[in-house]
Amino acid sequence: MPHALETRVLLDKAEDPRLATLQGYKDLVGGYATLEKAYKSMEQDEVLKELEDSGLRGRGGAGFSMGKKASFLPRGDMNKYLCCNADESEPGAFKDRELMQRNPHQLVEGIAIAALAADAGHAFIFIRGEYDSQADTLDAAVAEAYEAGYLGKDILGTHRDLELVVHRGAGAYICGEETALLDALEGKRGNPRLKPPFPAVQGLYGGPTLINNVETLSNVPRIVANGAEWFRQYGTEQSPGTKVVSISGGVRRPGNYEISLGLPTRDLIYELAGGPLPGRTVKAIYPGGSSSPVLKASEAMDLPYSFEAMAEAGSMLGSGSVIVADDRVSIPHMALRTARFYHHESCGKCTPCREGTNWTVKMLERVVRGEATPMDLDIISSVQENIMGKCLCVLGDSMAMPVSAMVRKFRGEFEAVMAEAAEGIDPHTIIDASPEALEAALEATS
Amino acid sequence: MSSEKREVTLTIDGREVTAIEGEMLHDAARKGDVEIPVFCYEPKLGAPVGACRMCLVEVEGIPKLQTSCSTPVRDGMVVHTRTDQVKKAQNAVVEFLLVNHPLDCPVCDKGGECPLQDVTQGWGPGKSRVIDEKRHFEKPIELSPLVAIDRERCILCYRCVRFSQEVSEDAQLQLLDRGDRTYVGTFDDRPYVSPFHGNITDLCPVGALTNYTYRFRARPWDIEQAGSVCTLCPSQCNVSFTVRDEKVKRVIVRDNPGVDDGWICDRGRYGFEMFGAAERVTEPRLKGGDKVSYEDAIARAAKGLAARDGKVAALVGDASNEEGFLVGEIVRGALHSPHLDSRPAAGPGIDTILGLARPELQAAVPDIDEADVILVLGTDPMQSSPILDLRIRKAIRRNGARLVVATERPTALDGGAEAIARFAPGQAAHFVGELTAAIGGAENVATPLAESLRDASKVVVVWGERLGPAATAELLNFVDAFDTKNAGTDVDGPKTQDGLEFSAHQHVGLLEVPEVANARGLREAGVLPDAGPGLAALALNGHGTEEIREALIDGSLDGLILVGVDPLRDFADTARWEEALNAASFIVAFSTFTTATAAKADVLFPLETHAEKDGTVTHPDGRLQRVRPAAGRPGDIRPGWQTLSQLSLALGHDTGITSQPTAFAALTAAVPFYASITDKSIGGRGIRWQETESAANLPNSATDAGAASADTQRVSASDEAVPVAGALALGTYRDLWAGPITELNPPLKFLKPSQRLELSPEDAARLSLDSGDTVRVTQGDKSLEATVAIRERVPEGVCFLAEGIAGANANSLLNGHQVSVQIEKLSEVPA
Repeated sequence: MPHALETRVLLDKAEDPRLATLQGYKDLVGGYATLEKAYKSMEQDEVLKELEDSGLRGRGGAGFSMGKKASFLPRGDMNKYLCCNADESEPGAFKDRELMQRNPHQLVEGIAIAALAADAGHAFIFIRGEYDSQADTLDAAVAEAYEAGYLGKDILGTHRDLELVVHRGAGAYICGEETALLDALEGKRGNPRLKPPFPAVQGLYGGPTLINNVETLSNVPRIVANGAEWFRQYGTEQSPGTKVVSISGGVRRPGNYEISLGLPTRDLIYELAGGPLPGRTVKAIYPGGSSSPVLKASEAMDLPYSFEAMAEAGSMLGSGSVIVADDRVSIPHMALRTARFYHHESCGKCTPCREGTNWTVKMLERVVRGEATPMDLDIISSVQENIMGKCLCVLGDSMAMPVSAMVRKFRGEFEAVMAEAAEGIDPHTIIDASPEALEAALEATS
Repeated sequence: MSSEKREVTLTIDGREVTAIEGEMLHDAARKGDVEIPVFCYEPKLGAPVGACRMCLVEVEGIPKLQTSCSTPVRDGMVVHTRTDQVKKAQNAVVEFLLVNHPLDCPVCDKGGECPLQDVTQGWGPGKSRVIDEKRHFEKPIELSPLVAIDRERCILCYRCVRFSQEVSEDAQLQLLDRGDRTYVGTFDDRPYVSPFHGNITDLCPVGALTNYTYRFRARPWDIEQAGSVCTLCPSQCNVSFTVRDEKVKRVIVRDNPGVDDGWICDRGRYGFEMFGAAERVTEPRLKGGDKVSYEDAIARAAKGLAARDGKVAALVGDASNEEGFLVGEIVRGALHSPHLDSRPAAGPGIDTILGLARPELQAAVPDIDEADVILVLGTDPMQSSPILDLRIRKAIRRNGARLVVATERPTALDGGAEAIARFAPGQAAHFVGELTAAIGGAENVATPLAESLRDASKVVVVWGERLGPAATAELLNFVDAFDTKNAGTDVDGPKTQDGLEFSAHQHVGLLEVPEVANARGLREAGVLPDAGPGLAALALNGHGTEEIREALIDGSLDGLILVGVDPLRDFADTARWEEALNAASFIVAFSTFTTATAAKADVLFPLETHAEKDGTVTHPDGRLQRVRPAAGRPGDIRPGWQTLSQLSLALGHDTGITSQPTAFAALTAAVPFYASITDKSIGGRGIRWQETESAANLPNSATDAGAASADTQRVSASDEAVPVAGALALGTYRDLWAGPITELNPPLKFLKPSQRLELSPEDAARLSLDSGDTVRVTQGDKSLEATVAIRERVPEGVCFLAEGIAGANANSLLNGHQVSVQIEKLSEVPA
């Protein structure tokens, strides 16, 4: 049973395994009725208008208006493409996996309708290679949709065509960057491209391309079915709709929760996710995945969970992935762990990201080894500043933002860790969050 | 493609700069004398990649810094390159670049001429905060036998990789791994093999890619750079010689968009150690090898030649315009003989030459960039004029040009062609005739090519001298086929619906790929049997190359002057040439190296290389360029013009030439369409005579004989190619790497080709041959051994051998006619 604070729209009936089949999708939530309506009776501009009016913001991280993005594609007779970005790889994010696994047809239907808005004849789902079973699920769903005439040539006798291909990535975080995704899809090394030209103008194989996240596209069928006004009843003025939030880290019930945007962050963490583990307190959170600047618990809890509130607080909602660090988590180690991830995943194309991630890791390693001085913290901060805004894509910033926030907000802890490590004390805490350990801890407190 | 380019005005660092709309900010800034540092940006490599982030600048109205290499200028743009924000970014990027750079400048070959050093000095923070360990790689290792790679020094600017992928299109260089572990390499660590790969050493902004031929040979402060022209092939690329102690140590590019687009091939780059080879002729010699003084040699040569007055012929190959002109003076003026030629085989008549030389028919090299369709006809630029191969690739890739290829042998450009035709060896004239007919609407084998050509408004035809005289003459009819159509539509007045297809004005430009580097200059200097300097008609025509050979054998000619030619290697029918040289009772030869031909000379003079010579050459597109002396002449070598001038004087014919300038003056006085060209107007980039006021001085073709005679010759050409049962028609080609280039340059020895018999899979199956088998290839009483190479794209019934391969030279099987060969398997490739 969903929690009372949840607003299940995308995850409606998600617990029913039949939803993953075409028949189940039709029976349980009236699936593909919207596709039929859109293909048979709507023009490109009508679909576009509905999406623009809904105010649906991209769920992949940037939060850009989906309708507006689709409207950037030039009109005219040319090969246009739609790419669904299913390369969900950011630490803390696992919402797309659940959406694809439980309700693949919602995504397929969303892609088919969005393709109308983009006037695209070819669509691709670029799914990260590690999502193997989800890719199988999608393959099966796409096959069913072709069989039923929702995809392919002359869809439902409307003379409209759409080819949809599920493409498995080879396991690189950078391929979630939309232009790197395009290069990888074209069979090249997955490196981000220089923008402009933006994909909407010159994307896949040089054609205008609309790229959207799984969750964004999953929202499309209901928006087109029920209208922009219906969608806007959820969420806030600037963040309409519901959002599937992945909560992980030091909480009792980590997982995906679908909420109406604007829900207080405190409710998200304490009510939905059950709050910190017994005997612990929340120290800080990443409000939007590992690339978002961390917020201290005191800054975060009273904020509404919305794009605008998080931006105002100097962070971001990103892909909507909350990682909770409790009081036993060593922030310098968390900074190192974060930096290592981005160092490992940097494509190496542009200098600040390639060298900056590498240098930051080396400096943070010295910090936790006790081989650094407070001056090194200044250098770390300065290096993050030198990375930010100077890279080819946002990967460099994705490390610089959280690391710089951690050094700024927890400088005392960094200095303490350096001093302790110099004396041979290891402050690194490993959170044991296995179900058995949790249960034992809960019993101990009750 | 619109040629209209709008000018815009913008402000960079307070200076008003006028630039062309769409131009990148970095390039526009240069016009205002504002230098923005870059590493990855290089317009020659295609679209900017924005990878190094060195060129970040502030553009008013845009909050984030922008990469000036990828930001097109807009009217009214206000740009700052030296604000605190920009300086901070520049400092940051330099600091980042040096995080993993070893800073081993004192032992690095690039030190002193290193962009990374310069940018660090000019835009870096001046101090380092990095105390952490740098990345390590095994170093240096062989990227190829000619280029070493030091991956620790690499700053991953992408230049070499982009060259490999977007310029030479070999796609061998790749970036492997990712992040700061990224490194440049090839698949499976295989050597990087490409005839252009040396260019990556020029492109590398650090000491990561260095030439084995130059490593640790010199430092930038004890070398001199001397600009000249490479005359190893007709491309005549502009180069700069790095000279230390009077010796060439390195050859690098000297960008000339009108000629080479800033690239050179590996022949030109690495083919300089032969300048000091032991085989070099370094002083005058007599037959048998005795060294003599210049004075003695000139006296002996003059005596021998004078005794054969009227019965002396001359053949000229590797020579400057002035040298060619002087040979003409000697033969025609001093020895009263009309017999001289500059072509290795029979060439087209003067009327054809004049017809094709018309300025309006002449394509310049940069015309390739703007062509709608490029027709490659009877030549493989990769083998004969490599830099044109890159130019054609660029036109296709960047400007959307379409390519059609019509050759005997598969070419390196086939992959990019939308239509390909293969004609049988000896059928060139017939094929060009068919193509002409097809353009006019006939349905035949050339129709697919004609389809591509028909709707093009700008056609550039890159054609090979090896097409032969008949096909060359036919080219005039081919061009007329286009003109006729224009006349029909242009005169029409208002365009009809029907006329739309052809309504655009069509322009056809021809660009020849000749057999020798300075072929055009020598012809225009009068080294032809039927034309004097300036392609002027003669009162009495002489013999061409093949007739000279026969006349020597039958005794009607007796003396021979050879300048920069090696008939025993480079001309068809080796045995007959041997006979002719033996029959000549007196030979004066000028040669760079000791060759079998040079050994037959009664008096042998040394010849300068293009690093030593002072003189002019003429590019196939009519561009006069100056070859300037860069290095010292080894031994007792005197300039060619001087020796020839003194020889002429000794023969009683005073040319008045006492220096290179007087030689050049005599040339321009004798060639009316060179009249207004001066050393100054040639300058560093050369000048096309067609673009000077003297162009009008080109003589008119006396008759339309060129075109008319083509028909008759065409018939004879097709008559000739009657296949012999059971044999394969033999086609030959000039291999890029055959000859002294790989025999006398130790670093290039690994590229020395061996003879390969190329044939189709069908014929190979019929003859039970496999790739790698050794065969004997026989034509009449002559034969050679070769290794079988099956090539999919070779048509059935034809086979190919390379010319100029020592010990197995295809020229030895040729006899001036189309020949067929028998193939006998000698041994199988070991399984």
